[in-house]
Amino acid sequence: MNKANRKSQLTSSLFVLPYLLLFTVFLLIPIIYGIWMSLHNWDLLSPVHEFVGLKNYLNIFDPASYLNNLFFTGLKNTLLFVVFSVPLLVVVGLGLALLINSLPARIRGLFRTVYFIPYSVSVSVVAIIWLWILDTNSGLINQYLQKFNLPVIAWLTDMPWAWISLVIATLWWTIGFNMIIFINALNDVSEELYEAGALDGASRWQRFRFITLPSIKPIMLFVLITSTIASFNIYGQPYLMTRGGPGDSTKVLLMNIVDEAFKQRQLGSAAAMSLLMALMMIIISVIQFRISNRKGVE
Amino acid sequence: MKKKKWLGIAMTAVLAIGSLAACSNDEKTTGSSSGKGDSSTITFWAPFSGPDGPRMKSIVEDYNKSQSEYKVDFQIVPQSDYYKTVDLSFSGQKNGPDVMIMHRDQLPTYVEKKLVKDVTETAEKAGVKEENYAETAWEGGQIDGKQYGIPLDIHPLVFYYNKDLFKQAGLDPEKPPTNREEFLDAAKKLTDSSKNQYGFVVPTLWPNQFIYPTVLFQNGGELLKDGKPNYNSPEGVEALTFLSDLVKKEKVSPANVQQDGEVTLFLQGKNAMHLNGPWMMEQWDKAKLNYGVAPVPQLGTKQQAVYANAHNFVIPASVKDEKKLDATTDFLKYVAENTMEWAKSGQAPASKAVYESAEFQKMKQQPQVAKQFEYAKFAPTVSNWGQISEPLWQEVNLALLGKKDPQKALDDATKKAEQLANK
Repeated sequence: MNKANRKSQLTSSLFVLPYLLLFTVFLLIPIIYGIWMSLHNWDLLSPVHEFVGLKNYLNIFDPASYLNNLFFTGLKNTLLFVVFSVPLLVVVGLGLALLINSLPARIRGLFRTVYFIPYSVSVSVVAIIWLWILDTNSGLINQYLQKFNLPVIAWLTDMPWAWISLVIATLWWTIGFNMIIFINALNDVSEELYEAGALDGASRWQRFRFITLPSIKPIMLFVLITSTIASFNIYGQPYLMTRGGPGDSTKVLLMNIVDEAFKQRQLGSAAAMSLLMALMMIIISVIQFRISNRKGVE
Repeated sequence: MKKKKWLGIAMTAVLAIGSLAACSNDEKTTGSSSGKGDSSTITFWAPFSGPDGPRMKSIVEDYNKSQSEYKVDFQIVPQSDYYKTVDLSFSGQKNGPDVMIMHRDQLPTYVEKKLVKDVTETAEKAGVKEENYAETAWEGGQIDGKQYGIPLDIHPLVFYYNKDLFKQAGLDPEKPPTNREEFLDAAKKLTDSSKNQYGFVVPTLWPNQFIYPTVLFQNGGELLKDGKPNYNSPEGVEALTFLSDLVKKEKVSPANVQQDGEVTLFLQGKNAMHLNGPWMMEQWDKAKLNYGVAPVPQLGTKQQAVYANAHNFVIPASVKDEKKLDATTDFLKYVAENTMEWAKSGQAPASKAVYESAEFQKMKQQPQVAKQFEYAKFAPTVSNWGQISEPLWQEVNLALLGKKDPQKALDDATKKAEQLANK
């Protein structure tokens, strides 16, 4: 018995091995290397990288250093995007899932595909499509606004419109993924619960509030955390659509990190910035997890 | 049973070691790729991922056919990743090119770090001489009096205009404006906001990296003074005020133009005059626009000038093999005499043998580009110009969107850039 057990353990380890190898090569080693770099004055073009301890980190928190401004302005913009986009990513994703689930089975598949397709195109395609639609002077939306004698909107060059445009483009692009996950979650909710609810005279809303929502809570948490992480990593949309403008008001943290690494060629401080960013994402995910779990206990 | 367990462990170990070995093997092969073959083959890197790529490729192919002693292995690295790739190859000091293209505004950074070679000797050996090139281009390859780059071309800002719109507005389509007065006059005549048609749509982002310095230079201003940011000089403020007034006061441009918004309008025939780089030519041709090209009018108040960048050939300092250097020399000499092909992408080669030839002068856009060689000016000679100038473009953006007063914007840009410069 014992032997067989060990053998099966060994077999399962074997199955994990390929992942473990890839994880080590592409994640673990780079992360450790990144930590190592962040402790050095690592100029990409200098052959010597002197050890500076925590100086890169201290610079980020020193208001006199340009890194301070670079990091915190970028962070503020990234956080704004997270706050604007995550609730919508969850709510709209769930809404679409409910909508599609209430469709007749025959056309359900079609719409599921239609909403999922944008998820499979690359960010540059998304940016080009939305640049055309949103163009201040020749874009589709403003053409119609003019036709109805409404004032045109500077979608990408004025605040808060630039954020609204970025959130809309992101929603259109990625909502399909959340939707599919929610559809699966909804299908897993037992029909009997709804029947029982209906018998007890629960309204549609009550059934949704007291049966659907509690049943899909773990999935909701998953979607919430993955969406937060994805939104934290925002880069392509502002880089291609607003170029960080107007001024630097949509210049997000990752854009600043890439600039620091490859324009300024300071890999050390760029590594420090990205590690702080990663740390922040971990903390936020843990908090989200904790909060949702506590509610579950009550 | 026991046997099988050990077999399992052994297999695991083999797998692990095998994959590690595979990794190191890979490294070896890629690491030595630059040294493959013999030293009569040289690797040449360039960022020509646009329509200019095939042109350079055919120059290299012709060179390889023209002689049998040397061979050039031409590799295109996409423009957006070019300097990243170059930096990584320099930092590893391996797997790098033997000769490469470098933009003028990037050159000071690499010279300061001693990563590119002084090519004075190489040029002499090849018979590549100063008098064979446009003066501006040759001097553009120099830093502190030493020659580091051998010029391929200069690409200054150029002036494009829509001939059909000129005719409709009663302007002579063969006489584009040459100064501020004529420019403003034409812009007003060409503007018809009821038809959504504008004289000169003011971009708020790229290519202001070319437009704003052009007007600033024409005002007699400088971007840096004694190596320090000087963005808020009176000349700078005048230049930015002029540009933002085109939107605010003269109303020859719509407000809130987004990235490439002015290009879209030019392609749609709703933007009559347009400033951009010579690389836009193929787009206009493809759209079958009836456009004209001319030197940039003197929009500033003092002198004629234009901001430009340039492609230079440079040799990494790590290349020491004499035979490879000879091969490079030979190739560069050939290029100097045979760059007519390069002109076909709309660029103007810096070699006199090409741009003074009758064939070149017959082209439409290219001679107009070459006309500006004499007074073209490059980015300031300073390390990391890309980063130091970043705040400037952000503040110019805010001013042109009407969100900040030009003086205030340039004050802020100077302050931010100073912080960057003495990091």
